[in-house]
Amino acid sequence: MRSQCQHMMAAFKARLKTFEDLLGADKIDRGKLRKECYQGCPENNCRALCWKLLLNYLPLQRSEWEKEKAKQRAAYRNFIQELIIIPGQKAKSNLSANGTLADHPLNPNPDSQWQEDFKDNDMLMQIDKDCRRLCPDLFFFQRATEFPCEELVKAGSNVETLRKRVEHSVLKSETVARNRQGITVNRSNSRRKSEDYIALKEGEEAHWEVVERILFIYAKLNPGLNYVQGMNEILGPIYYTFATDHDDDCRTNAEADSFFCFTNLMAEIRDSFIKSLDESQCGIGYSMELLYRKLREQDVALWHRLEEVELKPQFFAFRWLTLMLSQEFPLPDVLRIWDSLFADANRFDFLIYICMAMLVLVRNEILTSDFPSIMKLVQNFPHNRIDIHTVLAKATELSFRQS
Amino acid sequence: MAKKTYDLLFKLLLIGDSGVGKTCLLFRFSDDAFNTTFISTIGIDFKIKTVELGGKKIKLQIWDTAGQERFHTITTSYYRGAMGIMLVYDITNAKTFENISKWLRNIDEHANEDVEKMILGNKCDMEDKRQVATARGDSIAKEHCIPFLETSAKANINVEKAFMDLAQAILNKTPGRVAEPGGVNVSSQETGSKKCC
Repeated sequence: MRSQCQHMMAAFKARLKTFEDLLGADKIDRGKLRKECYQGCPENNCRALCWKLLLNYLPLQRSEWEKEKAKQRAAYRNFIQELIIIPGQKAKSNLSANGTLADHPLNPNPDSQWQEDFKDNDMLMQIDKDCRRLCPDLFFFQRATEFPCEELVKAGSNVETLRKRVEHSVLKSETVARNRQGITVNRSNSRRKSEDYIALKEGEEAHWEVVERILFIYAKLNPGLNYVQGMNEILGPIYYTFATDHDDDCRTNAEADSFFCFTNLMAEIRDSFIKSLDESQCGIGYSMELLYRKLREQDVALWHRLEEVELKPQFFAFRWLTLMLSQEFPLPDVLRIWDSLFADANRFDFLIYICMAMLVLVRNEILTSDFPSIMKLVQNFPHNRIDIHTVLAKATELSFRQS
Repeated sequence: MAKKTYDLLFKLLLIGDSGVGKTCLLFRFSDDAFNTTFISTIGIDFKIKTVELGGKKIKLQIWDTAGQERFHTITTSYYRGAMGIMLVYDITNAKTFENISKWLRNIDEHANEDVEKMILGNKCDMEDKRQVATARGDSIAKEHCIPFLETSAKANINVEKAFMDLAQAILNKTPGRVAEPGGVNVSSQETGSKKCC
C-alpha cells in the first residue's frame, strides 16, 4: 500500500518535472506541449499556462510573454473603459439630468443612444440570467473575487455598473408603462436585488459578475454573433481555471486573460453558435451528422439502434458538441477533457471521438432499452459509474482505430 | 425490451422565452420539487411521467426547450410530433408576455393544426413584482380560445393541474385510441406514432 502510494507520488513528481521543463524552455515546443497536455495537465499547477499557450494567447517564445500580456491586458482595460465605464457615466449623468435631454427613451431616431441601449439591455438581461445560474453546484461563482474591477466598484464611483444597469432595466420595464419618469422610485422592487444576489459587501464583485462583464464585452465587440446562450458554459471553465491558479499574476489578471482565451476559442467554435450556419459544412448540423456517420463506421449495430428508435443527434449531441461537454460532467472532469481537446492539433476532431466513446460505453443499455430510457441516459450521462479516464481512453482508442 | 406499461403515449412540449421557468415547471411536475439553480437549457431536455386519467395509464413524454432565438431551428423540429404545447411566460416580466403572440405564430407555422395548447403565466407567487395582470393573460387566451392558468413552480400552484388539464384535452380528442409507443416499438415500418392526433 505504502509503496504504491510512493510510486504514485513519484509518478506525479515526474509528471510535474516534465511540465516544468517543457514550460521553462526559452521557446515552447508546441508538439511536445500538445502531447503532454493531451494526457492531462497537472491539477492546479500549470493548466492555466498550458491553456494560454494552446489557445494561442501567449506566443511560444517565452521572452515575449510579459510584453504580450501587458499589451493585451491594456487593450482589455480599454474595452471596459469604452464599453462600460463611459456609457455607464453617461447613464448616471442622464439619470440626474432630469429629462431635459435631446435624446430620450422614446426617441424613434435609429441613431438614438437609447435605441442601442435597449438592445444592449436585452442582451445584458439574458447574460445576467445565465451567469447567475452558471455552475450552480459550485459555490465558486457566487463568491467575491479578490480582484474586482476597481473603477467600477470603488465607493463613490460615478459609473452605472452592469449590475445597476440590470436592476434599472428591470425597474424601467416595470414602471415605464405606469410612470414615464419613474426610474428612480418604486421602492417595493428594491427587495428583488437582495434576494437575487447573494449579499456581497459594497465594493465587492462576485465571480459570476466578472464572467458577465467578459461576455457583455465580447458581445459588444462581436455584434454579428452577439450573446448566445451556452457561451457562459464555454467561458466558465476557462475563467475558473485562471482565477484559481496558484500564480498571483494569473489570478490577478484572470478576467482579461480569460477574455482573450475565450475570444480565441470562440473564433474556432463560433460556427456552432450561429443559427444560419446550422446546415452548412461548418455548422453544428454537420458536426452532429459527422458523429453519427463515424459511429456507423465503428459500431453499426449501435448506430442502427439509435436510428431505429429515432433518437436524433439533435436530442443530445447538440448540447454535447456545442458546449464541448461542459454540461455533461462535473467541472474537474470538464477541465481534464478540455486539456485533451485544446491539445488536439485538429481541433476539435477529438471531441467527436469523446462523444462516440460515451455512446459506445453505454452501448449495451442503448441496445436493450426503449426510447425514453435511452434519452434519459444520453441526457444525463452516468459519469458516476463511468470514469472520465475510461471515456478518454476509449476515445483515444477509437481515434487510433479510425486513422 | 420494456413491457408496455401504459395505455397511451402523449407527447408534450414546453415553449416560451428564456428564464420564464419552463424547466422548473417540468421539474415540479415530474419530481415534485423546486430548484432555483437550474442551468440554462441548451437545445432540448426530456422528461417522462406516467399519470392516470379516465382509468387509463398515460405516459407523458415532455420535451423542454431552450428559449433563446438561436435554438429555434433545433426546437421547432419537435413541434410537429407534439400533441400538446404548453406556452409559458413570466408574470414578473412583461416582455415575455408580449412575446406570447410570437410563440403562437411559431406554433401555427410548425405544429400540427389540431395540437392542444395551453398558456401559463408562471411565477404567480411573486405578486409584488407582477408586471402582467391576470386579466391580460386571460384575454389573450380567450382571444385564441386557449385555456389559461397562472402557475408557480416554486409555490406549487396549478402545476399538476396544468399538465393534467392539457393531457385531459388530448385524451378527450382521442377516444379509444390504442397506445403507439413510439420508440418502444422496434418494427421500423410501423411509424404510426408520427401521425398522432
